Amino acid sequence: MTTAVAMAAATPGRAQPIVDAPPPAPPPLPADAQDPEASIGDASADLDVTIGPVITVEDIVVTGNRSTARRVIERAMKIRRGDVLRAGDPRLARARWKLLALGFFRTVDVALVKGSARGQVIVTITVAERGTVALNRLWFGSSAIAPWWLGVDLSDRNFLGTGLHVGGALAYVAGGEVAGSRAQWAGELRLADPSLGGSRWGVHGALTGHHGSEPYRVTGPIGTGAPDDLRAFWYRRIGGRAGATFAATPLTSIAADVRIEAIDAALPTAPSRAWPDGTTRTIDLGLAPGASRVTSLAATALYDNRPDPALPHRGTRVEVMAELGSSLVGDYDFALLLGRYDRFWPVARRHALGLRVAGGVALGDAPRFDRLHLSDVNRMVTPRVLGMTTAMTAPLDLLGTANAEAAYGEYGGNLVGEYVFQWWRRPNRIYGGDVFVAVGLWGLRSDDAQPHAGLPIDAVIDAGLRIDTEIGVFEFSLSNAIGRVPRW
Amino acid sequence: MVRGVAAVALIVGALAIITRSAPADDKLTQVMRFAERGTSLFVSTDVTTLFDSAAYEHLDDGLPTTVVIRLWVYPKDRKQPVSFQLLHRQVIYDLWDEVYEVALSGPTGRRIFRVKYRAEALKLMTTVDQIRIADTALIPYDAQFVVAVVAELNPVSAATMAEVRRWLTDGSGGGLDRGGSFFGSFVSVFVNLKLPEADRVLRLRSQPFFRPRPTP
Repeated sequence: MTTAVAMAAATPGRAQPIVDAPPPAPPPLPADAQDPEASIGDASADLDVTIGPVITVEDIVVTGNRSTARRVIERAMKIRRGDVLRAGDPRLARARWKLLALGFFRTVDVALVKGSARGQVIVTITVAERGTVALNRLWFGSSAIAPWWLGVDLSDRNFLGTGLHVGGALAYVAGGEVAGSRAQWAGELRLADPSLGGSRWGVHGALTGHHGSEPYRVTGPIGTGAPDDLRAFWYRRIGGRAGATFAATPLTSIAADVRIEAIDAALPTAPSRAWPDGTTRTIDLGLAPGASRVTSLAATALYDNRPDPALPHRGTRVEVMAELGSSLVGDYDFALLLGRYDRFWPVARRHALGLRVAGGVALGDAPRFDRLHLSDVNRMVTPRVLGMTTAMTAPLDLLGTANAEAAYGEYGGNLVGEYVFQWWRRPNRIYGGDVFVAVGLWGLRSDDAQPHAGLPIDAVIDAGLRIDTEIGVFEFSLSNAIGRVPRW
Repeated sequence: MVRGVAAVALIVGALAIITRSAPADDKLTQVMRFAERGTSLFVSTDVTTLFDSAAYEHLDDGLPTTVVIRLWVYPKDRKQPVSFQLLHRQVIYDLWDEVYEVALSGPTGRRIFRVKYRAEALKLMTTVDQIRIADTALIPYDAQFVVAVVAELNPVSAATMAEVRRWLTDGSGGGLDRGGSFFGSFVSVFVNLKLPEADRVLRLRSQPFFRPRPTP
């Protein structure tokens, strides 16, 4: 028997059964019941989609590519001339996304038109190119030891339409009042082919040069940043990395690198730290005096399945990097292990929780610049500028642990919990904004820890706004503001 | 520090003004038909407005067009659904035979139709005709419920979205400053294309309905 169900505000409809047999039970509710109406994506991934006629790809025609080479577009697709497949083949449906994943195009339209004979088709691809130059980083600020600094890191993901990534950075730090310091500058040039001939293999390389001066504390209280309590030594670095990457899956990549670097450091004869209580202790500046060389091998693995890395609300990012340097071909025996884990869970519609864990260890005789810097683990501290130190600002002592002495350490990390509120989403211009509040702990421990220094751990707090816009991704946060303005 | 906090507050305030007119997740109310047969509750409606003229034209491009329709039954004024149904539909135009092949997957299994006209294909893709959405045991007599429908045109899997947006985090690393690039958050300025999770999304709410208690 069929019964019309009454409706509180409309005329009841008449039911017409469309099945003769008792239907199966409805599927269970989606596991993500906190946000039941969130997109579940392409449900066809779980279905046997083999509809559509069998076709032969007679030709691939590309239009709209004013600067991008046609071969770059064709090799990004998983379809070749002569391929025989069903029109419903996922490779055809995903061709558009494979091209958008290059990051070169604003729009991509893929369509089939009849070919010269029955069953033959021409795949037409119409693209609209977008700008591929990116401002990756902008450094600026002022501190007690550097009146001002300015730096920029730019890259082009599609250099001259070849699909090559070319990038570079320049930074200048004005000399300050610290004895022994000088104006610093650094430059970097990068080149990468992320997909050799359309394969899953890629190559990359970078050359970097520094003309710097590195400050260290010699007198004063814990964590002092006063120029009179500091000294600096000059150094020069020139070197590079080169390596290969392999995209194990669309979301997973592994890389191997070789690094060769020459360092020339004008170290003081016997650097020491004098404490207000009259004691003096030798300090380790982490570099061989004069000319030295760093030679190392590194391996990196990265997995990132966050659907929206700009405004993450779900997904995981894991990155692990190991580097091994040897005195057989250099002057430093060391091992460096860095790890980072970011995970986000949607807990309700527009609300998400995140966990960020990052850290590392530098074992052996790691060069100073490879050790963990305070700003690596505490975002409330002025970051280094292309590897150059611009401030010796003490971190906020939130837990009263008086831990401000170490600028570099062999062991360090942070553990941060984050709450994210999805403020808005819209289809154009300012696509979205998230407010976030983060609380956590950071720690930095040095083998050369001064006996007067406190526990190498403290709290970190942050709050702010991330916005994803037509011209880029920005973060305005308390920690950014604290780290970039001159203070005490 | 005070200057930093003030700057953040100023930016947040400005954005509050900018985004005040940001569209919310508007849900259209659409009259739906309900029927009870045996121990099942059925619904009939359509999601035709999911297709605009451009999407309608794309039905002829020879490539698959996918529609995913999800239906939930909610107690009125509650946020947790009591039942859920998933429909998956796909159409491909056969360039040589000049017919539309439509595959419908749902609670009754999978069926394939071949139709001559585009309008027929659209109707098959967007009509929700007598779809079982709940067991009547979950729908008490006289209690009011609503059905929520979300229809997505060519939705993209989370993995594909992650792949497409992956280039965003291809940071500036690679030089000697490995530590900074490894630990740093990314903030970049570039021409940024935001890709939606589907070509179009339609969100509907039914009028409230209830099961009348059977007369003795």
